[in-house]
Amino acid sequence: MNIVVCVKQVPDTSDPDTEVHIDSSGKGVDQSKFSFVINDADNFAVEEAILLKEKHGGEVTVINIGPEGANQVIRMALAKGGDGAIRLGDDKFAYSDVVATARLLQSALKDIQYDLVLTGCLASDDGYGAVGVTLAQILGVPHAAYAKTVEVVDDKKLKVGRELEGGLMEMNEIELPCVLTIQTGGNEPRYASFKGIREASKKEIKVMDLAATGLAEDQVGEAGSVAVMTEYSVPEVGELAEMLEGDPAETAGKLGNILKEKGLV
Amino acid sequence: MSDIFVLAEHRQGELREVTLELLTLAGELGGNVVAVLLGSGVDDFATKIAGYADKVMVVDDPMFANFNAMAYQAALVELIKKDKPGLVLVGNTSQGVDLVGSLAVELEVPFTTDAVAVSMEGDKPVVTRQYYGGKINGTINFKDADTYVVGVREAAIPAGEGGKSGEVTKVDNPVTAEITARKFLEYVEAAIGDVDITQSTLLVSIGRGIREDKNMPMIEELAGLMGADISGSRAVVDAGWLPTDRQVGISGKTVKPKLYLALGISGAFQHVTGMKGSDLIVAVNKDPDAPIFQYADFGIVNDLLKVVPALIDKLKEIKG
Amino acid sequence: MSIEHGVFVEKYDLLGCIQCGRCTGGCPVTARTPLNVRRFVYDAVDDDRLEALSEQPEIWDCTTCNTCAIRCPKGLEPFEVLLGLRAMRAEEGNIEPTARDALESMFNNGNPWGKPAAKRVDWMEGIEGVDKVRILEPGEKADVLIHTCCTAVYDPRIMPLAKNLVRVLEAAGVDYGFIGVDEKHCGSEARRLGEEGLFEYFDEENTELFGSYEVNRLVTLSPHCFNTFKNEYTNLSIPVQHYTQLVAELIEDKKLKLSKEIGSQVVFHDPCYLGKKNLVFDEPRYILGQIPGIETAEFFRSKERSLCCEGGGGKMWVESESKEQRLAETRIADAEALGAKIVAVACPFCLLTLEDALKARGLEEEMRVADILELLGESL
Repeated sequence: MNIVVCVKQVPDTSDPDTEVHIDSSGKGVDQSKFSFVINDADNFAVEEAILLKEKHGGEVTVINIGPEGANQVIRMALAKGGDGAIRLGDDKFAYSDVVATARLLQSALKDIQYDLVLTGCLASDDGYGAVGVTLAQILGVPHAAYAKTVEVVDDKKLKVGRELEGGLMEMNEIELPCVLTIQTGGNEPRYASFKGIREASKKEIKVMDLAATGLAEDQVGEAGSVAVMTEYSVPEVGELAEMLEGDPAETAGKLGNILKEKGLV
Repeated sequence: MSDIFVLAEHRQGELREVTLELLTLAGELGGNVVAVLLGSGVDDFATKIAGYADKVMVVDDPMFANFNAMAYQAALVELIKKDKPGLVLVGNTSQGVDLVGSLAVELEVPFTTDAVAVSMEGDKPVVTRQYYGGKINGTINFKDADTYVVGVREAAIPAGEGGKSGEVTKVDNPVTAEITARKFLEYVEAAIGDVDITQSTLLVSIGRGIREDKNMPMIEELAGLMGADISGSRAVVDAGWLPTDRQVGISGKTVKPKLYLALGISGAFQHVTGMKGSDLIVAVNKDPDAPIFQYADFGIVNDLLKVVPALIDKLKEIKG
Repeated sequence: MSIEHGVFVEKYDLLGCIQCGRCTGGCPVTARTPLNVRRFVYDAVDDDRLEALSEQPEIWDCTTCNTCAIRCPKGLEPFEVLLGLRAMRAEEGNIEPTARDALESMFNNGNPWGKPAAKRVDWMEGIEGVDKVRILEPGEKADVLIHTCCTAVYDPRIMPLAKNLVRVLEAAGVDYGFIGVDEKHCGSEARRLGEEGLFEYFDEENTELFGSYEVNRLVTLSPHCFNTFKNEYTNLSIPVQHYTQLVAELIEDKKLKLSKEIGSQVVFHDPCYLGKKNLVFDEPRYILGQIPGIETAEFFRSKERSLCCEGGGGKMWVESESKEQRLAETRIADAEALGAKIVAVACPFCLLTLEDALKARGLEEEMRVADILELLGESL
């Protein structure tokens, strides 16, 4: 079973102390103080792809849209068991929205014989959670979002468990080829050792620029987008904990109301 | 303004709250609020929804007995092409996320997801979204079109009281061919007893402040009322009050629940590292200087052994 | 993966082992786990067994405290066999998720704690009596280059150690400089978790970084950083000291005045990486002896026989399966029996584990654990 897994390199914002500063253009952020990592959900997608390969054979191709620095996450995926990689790299791809991004991925897929395409369910930087589903539509194949369990029924279909709110699993049968967006927590991503990544650096990463994609300039980047983020702003945020005052009954009362308001009880 | 379509969301015989939230939002935006209800035997829902909409369009067919993104998409494409609403609102839920992007692309209209605020500028929606885990907000500008599809975050807009009396109309299922590429099989509940706290949505987490094993039952009662799982610091695991797989921290598990209720946990760095990704952190600790308050969104300085029983009473009251 | 014949035998001189058992006989973790390091040395001779040996959970129980190495009559280092087995696991990517997270963070953020690299010097704010902490630019000169330690810069409990170090340096008029935001993990814990490749990366990066300054010596806050720079880095020519060695000098040279009294009985817990690994026993004791009002006591198990706190050897990230009492609690019980009011340490890991043990035993009212830097800060 040939699998394509799409990986994104994002700033590491897992620590709440991470600072995000809007740059002078208003539509970008200051990248200078970030560490860059593989998007968390994509890491689970990579592991899922490798697990399926280990069980059912086939090849895993890693695809990324990014600058040269993104080679780091591609190599990590190759070190874990990926066979080949494509990086779509061109300044003109910057500021692509979900649709333009999906279009770019489709262009990389046109020469690959794939059975299954995996993406992470959500990216930690922009959080659209829509590229996989959109890509499926453009490719004309079925899809399922928030897939947590993937089982091969036969060479024509999969049994996929989607994780719903509250942990309930929705079991579906989906025909191949298809696109799945992978939820976090469905597997335990393996570690790619330093030496392993260095070994994987010997594998070729095919780089595709705009010309190689066969797309026109107005099909990518901001020009190719239908929903563009035009301006960042800083939300109002309380710094310290809001302390609830009063005796136990009063504070418990206040807390109960807060939880209710937030839809948590 | 033309029609605003709002997709109703339901599952296992329950109408989901997000439906009323989105209908409330649609009402606030002006225009004709049309609720779109796809289901099988869903007259009760239609009645409830009618209080929040100007019109309720019901497609009642066994095809929609359980959610199937492809079936939903096939129906919505036809309904939207026919009615040409100016705006389509869908909850950014496990259903909505499975639907919005592909639906919009099939319709060839602009879309975005996970909106936390929506307003109108003439016929065009202005959408606010969060970026970088909520550290900054961003505004979305759409290309001009006749219809826009927007996925809206759950609980971002409070559901109002309703106050409308929409006309309920049953519409023939516009989907004529059976959907075969994707089939709903069944729902499977999470296995009881086999808790993976890294996947928990709600966590009641205990620390040394619990003091004794015999105080555990009140924690269990609280967690039960909240539908939460129980986790703890290394200290309570060492003391044997919780099994190892419930330990949160650098040498235990990393959790990212919607709510982390830290009871009697001091907030040592090695523990906090395991729960810093939680959406909402509430801390109860006797010690006003406990480091946990540096990380919490809300804090109560008091003995948890007094606060927990009071909280149990309050939650019982809320749940009625 | 394939192991060439005799690799472990050659690398660790396994045939030199006479199976006397002094290693296991002195190994402190045998009090709570089934780890038998003598047995591992014996079994690792057989290359075909290495894979199975690497799968045994006890290899992660070792704290690398050096007791086995210090006791070995043949001068071998039995614990290194366990690190070699860990390295097999790490290279395959088959390690605990907590170890994985720590290692990935080391590479991505330059520290094992998942904290942003950009926040490495935030701790320098608000130091009593100090306007600005001196950070060196590349090419700049100083007598002493300080390597702070990932735990000291990010863990709020350990930041006071770094802050007090600055106060001590300023008070003594030392020509010092810190590295700043580019300071990274020393590589010690990467190596302890089996990641040889990642350790080599830090060896290379840090050696180049330190070389970019003109300094006479490198001084560390943590014994783990001290040990790794001094003994494990392949190409570092700058002399390396632990802060206790520098501070002892300063006191001897009468550059540091300690005036405020700390009227308490203090027992010094020898950190394994300072004591057993590097035989630095006297300087910490000398410093404590110079603090007015302090009465020092000695543990029965002191110096070469110091009881490991179980903070080293990657144990901050990988727990043992054992439910038996932690060694740190035994140590606190020892201190309680001595009637000590303060357990003094000179290592961030000892401080964290012993303080945790103190709380577990409910003795917060009776005793406290303090790093020598904190005591110095109180006495300045």
